Amino acid sequence: MNLDEELRAALRREDPSLGFAERVAAKAHSSPAPKAVMRFPRMMWAAAIAAVLVTGLTAMYEYRQMQAEHASRDAVIALRIAADKLNNARDKVSRREN
Amino acid sequence: MTDDPERFEELVREHQAMVFSMACRYLRNRALAEEIAQDVFLQLYRKLPSLESQDHVVHWLRWVTAHRLIDHSRYEKRRPQSPLEDAPEPASADSMGSADPLLSDMLRDLVAALPENARLVMILRYQEDLDPMDIAQALDMPIATVKSHLHRSLSLLRDKLSRKKGVGL
Repeated sequence: MNLDEELRAALRREDPSLGFAERVAAKAHSSPAPKAVMRFPRMMWAAAIAAVLVTGLTAMYEYRQMQAEHASRDAVIALRIAADKLNNARDKVSRREN
Repeated sequence: MTDDPERFEELVREHQAMVFSMACRYLRNRALAEEIAQDVFLQLYRKLPSLESQDHVVHWLRWVTAHRLIDHSRYEKRRPQSPLEDAPEPASADSMGSADPLLSDMLRDLVAALPENARLVMILRYQEDLDPMDIAQALDMPIATVKSHLHRSLSLLRDKLSRKKGVGL
């Protein structure tokens, strides 16, 4: 006798009871379809994340634009004030010289 | 792989002997083995769309069944573990010839009494005829550990059987 052969004979495959495949298939088909349950929420999550990202980036861009506009407006005002002061000073100097 | 219902039933028929026998040899309980085999196939049904080929299905089934069985013995503890050294001596085999049904039954009992990893290694080696490299892959185990389990289990089986007059393997 050879132990390897005896083990192969002892541990050879055998089938489960009759109708096993039919029972498993029936049970599988009676459970909810996995794709419909699993994929829809994943797509929803992806869409929600994309929407949040787009909204956030747009808001950030708008905010930066607004800040830049304010800054340029302030700079123009500051330049105008400085120009007025310089004009006043020049007028005073020219009046004294005359 | 397709998730067509008829194809799924064919797949179950094709692989039921492999999955059921692994569970049955491991647990030595046909009802429990069928229950676990059914769970494995239901898991396959959910996984089927992502499996690419027949080989992938076979590999996946072996891997999931093996891990399901290990989980079962670790967490459910339905079957008390006893080391092979403590297993009862097999019945006398004086009258046993080669491929004797009693000797086969005795060998199945002895294999079922091995520690869980060694038991799975023996089942994959002798039921599924896998070489140590494939067993290592199926069980996420280093190949040296697989070889060591095989060597040790075979020595223990020989020792156990040789204690009985007439069974010199």
